[in-house]
Amino acid sequence: MAIWQGKRSLQVVTLALQGELFALEAGRVHEILDRVPVTEVPGGPVFVSGLINVRGKVVPLADLRMKFGMECTAATIDTRIVVIDVTLGGEIVSVGLLADKVYEVTELQAEVLEDTPRIGMRWRPDLIRCVGKRGRDFIAVLDIDKLFDEGDREAVAGNASAAPAQDAA
Amino acid sequence: MSGVDPTETFRQEAQELLEQLEQTLLDLAKAPEDLALVDSTFRALHTIKGSGSMFGFDAVAGFTHHVESAFDMVRKGQVKLTPALADVALAAKDYIRALIERPDTTAAEDGAAILERLEAAVGSTGAGGTAAAAPKAAMAAGRAKWQVKFWLPPNALATGTNPLLLLDELRGLGEATVTPLLDRVPALEDLNPADIHIGWDVSLITDKPKSAIEDVFLFVLDDMEIAIDLVETLDAPAAAPKTEAAPQPAVAKPAAAKPEAAAPKGGSGSIRVPAERLDNLMDRVGELVIAQSRLKQVAAASRDAEFKSISEEIERLALELRDTTMGVRMVPIAQLFGRFRRLVHDLAHELGKDIALVTVGEDTELDKTVIEQLNDPLVHLIRNSIDHGLESPEQRLAAGKPAQGQIRLAAQHTGDKVLISITDDGKGLDRARIQARAEEHGLIQPGAKLSDSELFQLIFQPGFSTAQQVTNLSGRGVGMDVVKRTLDSLRGSIDIASNPGTGTEITLRLPLTLAIIDGLLVRVGQGRYVIPLSAVEECVELPAEEAGRANGCSFLNIRDELVPFLRLREMFKTTGEPDRYQKVVVVSSNDSRVGLVVDQVIGDHQTVIKSLSKLHAGIGTFSGATILGDGTVALILEIANLVAKGQVREPLKLAS
Amino acid sequence: MAKTILSVDDSASIRQMVKLTLSGAGYDVIQANDGAEGLAKAKGAKVDMVMTDLNMPVMNGLALIKELRKLPSYQGVPILFLTTESDAGLKSEAKAAGATGWITKPFQQDQLIAVVKKVLG
Repeated sequence: MAIWQGKRSLQVVTLALQGELFALEAGRVHEILDRVPVTEVPGGPVFVSGLINVRGKVVPLADLRMKFGMECTAATIDTRIVVIDVTLGGEIVSVGLLADKVYEVTELQAEVLEDTPRIGMRWRPDLIRCVGKRGRDFIAVLDIDKLFDEGDREAVAGNASAAPAQDAA
Repeated sequence: MSGVDPTETFRQEAQELLEQLEQTLLDLAKAPEDLALVDSTFRALHTIKGSGSMFGFDAVAGFTHHVESAFDMVRKGQVKLTPALADVALAAKDYIRALIERPDTTAAEDGAAILERLEAAVGSTGAGGTAAAAPKAAMAAGRAKWQVKFWLPPNALATGTNPLLLLDELRGLGEATVTPLLDRVPALEDLNPADIHIGWDVSLITDKPKSAIEDVFLFVLDDMEIAIDLVETLDAPAAAPKTEAAPQPAVAKPAAAKPEAAAPKGGSGSIRVPAERLDNLMDRVGELVIAQSRLKQVAAASRDAEFKSISEEIERLALELRDTTMGVRMVPIAQLFGRFRRLVHDLAHELGKDIALVTVGEDTELDKTVIEQLNDPLVHLIRNSIDHGLESPEQRLAAGKPAQGQIRLAAQHTGDKVLISITDDGKGLDRARIQARAEEHGLIQPGAKLSDSELFQLIFQPGFSTAQQVTNLSGRGVGMDVVKRTLDSLRGSIDIASNPGTGTEITLRLPLTLAIIDGLLVRVGQGRYVIPLSAVEECVELPAEEAGRANGCSFLNIRDELVPFLRLREMFKTTGEPDRYQKVVVVSSNDSRVGLVVDQVIGDHQTVIKSLSKLHAGIGTFSGATILGDGTVALILEIANLVAKGQVREPLKLAS
Repeated sequence: MAKTILSVDDSASIRQMVKLTLSGAGYDVIQANDGAEGLAKAKGAKVDMVMTDLNMPVMNGLALIKELRKLPSYQGVPILFLTTESDAGLKSEAKAAGATGWITKPFQQDQLIAVVKKVLG
């Protein structure tokens, strides 16, 4: 999975999920929102169980913690929603990602961008593009399109029972 | 409703009318022959007179009456519209305005002066007269005995007439003895319980005139059989009993029905507009509707009466705008059907078959973009029909059918959908072959038992084709799945029914519009949902004994009809406590009625439909989403799918 | 329980007058601006009588009456329409569409109450 060939660095938005740091390509990020009311979609896929209103557009809301089998704790004052562009079945669609905390936009240097090792990874390696390092922290760069890939979605009938009550505005 | 005075509102409405009237009169001065302008003037005056007297502006009503009469004569051609008359009319308009704005300081003499000028301009005698209808001269008092015998038209109950109230009114006129007449009541097996066949014979002693008795039956007099006979007078010296039989025919013949007086302006041209501009316009209108519903919400919580009335006004304008712009995009399906005539003709010729194309419902209107997208799927389906469904003349004759085959294209509106059907009287689908093919492709287990409609749905899988020969036209198996995908993208559905030897019917169901619908907003638990209003028939309370039960086969008795219902809390796996008094929204789906149980019916809501992304579109129970007045998202229910899913969970016997 | 009347009219002054008069006489009154809104309100609530103007934008009174009579829950519900003196043809059209009776404009408050009592009791 050698990527970043010829590139010196990558602009990323770093975010935290249950204490673990992840990064998203900044070029794909539309905007970052504070908490907004979420409407649940009964019968929807477990990790994309809600819809939010982004300036008049109806946007699906995904909780990646479900994808990674993490605990889904209640929202805090730091919770944010990162709206990104995802390619779904040939179309570009806006999707919101719930994040426990969002940090600054950083540059990950080319030298420290290592291809994801197949073993020793705590989180599903196929959803990670690569791992970078910043200071002492390991930051996993997420593969956005893979996250929402058809074959990966586990649709479960009924509500996402593991998700805690989504907050109201 | 404190603080809003109808009189004040009348004043404002009158101002608008008077301003319009001034413009019309100015136009009229330049074009005195224009009958439409004359008519417009007359109607404005008529409205001012009428509303004036309703809201206590008697001086206004009295004065305006004369001006109105003058213009009535002009529009009937009895008087010409002279410059003098037009001038007086303008002066009259100013005077009316003064009467409304400053009733206390406006001099009556000014009005009288104007009326004199009016008389002179009209040039006929006696333009004056008393306003309003002369009161009916009361007939001589004195008690008399009347016999009132009557039968109402059989459908009277359905149109809201209550015979008991009529009898009560008669009793209110004096002493009444009522006898029911049962001789026209048909036998039980022929009896339609919604009809009324009972007549009544009433002996009435009253001092009121005959017209008072007739007034009781004012609304039904023209449609009923009634005889009001004077039996004898009781107080006055004996008058010869007059028998005035007045049987009326049971069915009213409407007098030459006047079509709505919409005066179309001359010259209806049309212009070409790039479709993209229309799309942009629609988007803006959609956003306006959303913003307007937020405004409505804020206004509902406000105590400011003026704010509320402005909000109502904006709502009215927004909805009118919505309907007008949506109407712009609606196009009759005739243009689509028209293209197919040629297609059928050519294909039939090429294949040596004799085929007639019949179209029904050509003026059914659809959104322009939908029609364009339907072209290819329909072409494919028609080709299939001609190629594989309809047999050659020889085959048909051998099968005992007429040599000419028929394809029937039909379109109609039903509920919130448009139904388009393609029916042929060919040989129908070969069930066995489809089953075999499906098993070959691994779509079903060998020997699996499927219903007809389930089996036929497999045809839409990619690569599926049972054609023995791949002809030029079809059989490559690339058609049907494209048809399905196009329909999915239009949020539509497709059904196939077929009878071996007799023919096949394919039905497409499409939403009426892609953009904006009227919806009923309901709450299930914490979530809010929109039900398309065109599918809604009524809302009833859920009886207490049902509320306790969590599941099980459930029926409601509504006016002696069993209506099955689905608990949405169950279908959506809602947590928390249900409301004490749940409601049932009765919807119609595919000609049957089903109740949907919700916690609360919130109200009607103009819904701008936002599509769901691929992540959620596949669920099926929701046809889209919308943004409510408070900014949150609500899902729009897809009734047909919802009901079907409900059936799978608990097999429902749907009442037809 | 008070009976509910749905009043449909595009003139704000008439709507207000009707509401004040009839609620003063003990009825509950809901209002709508035009036929489409009237139909929506009729479907969403249990109404004992409908009163509608004929000439309205979006959906006129005649169309509203026809739509209401298609609904099973509105069989037998009295529907009154507003008409002016000169419109004899409209009266029969409205009745053919399923209306129960009419009120002639202009009308005074006591006339309104009398007609409502006549058809609703």
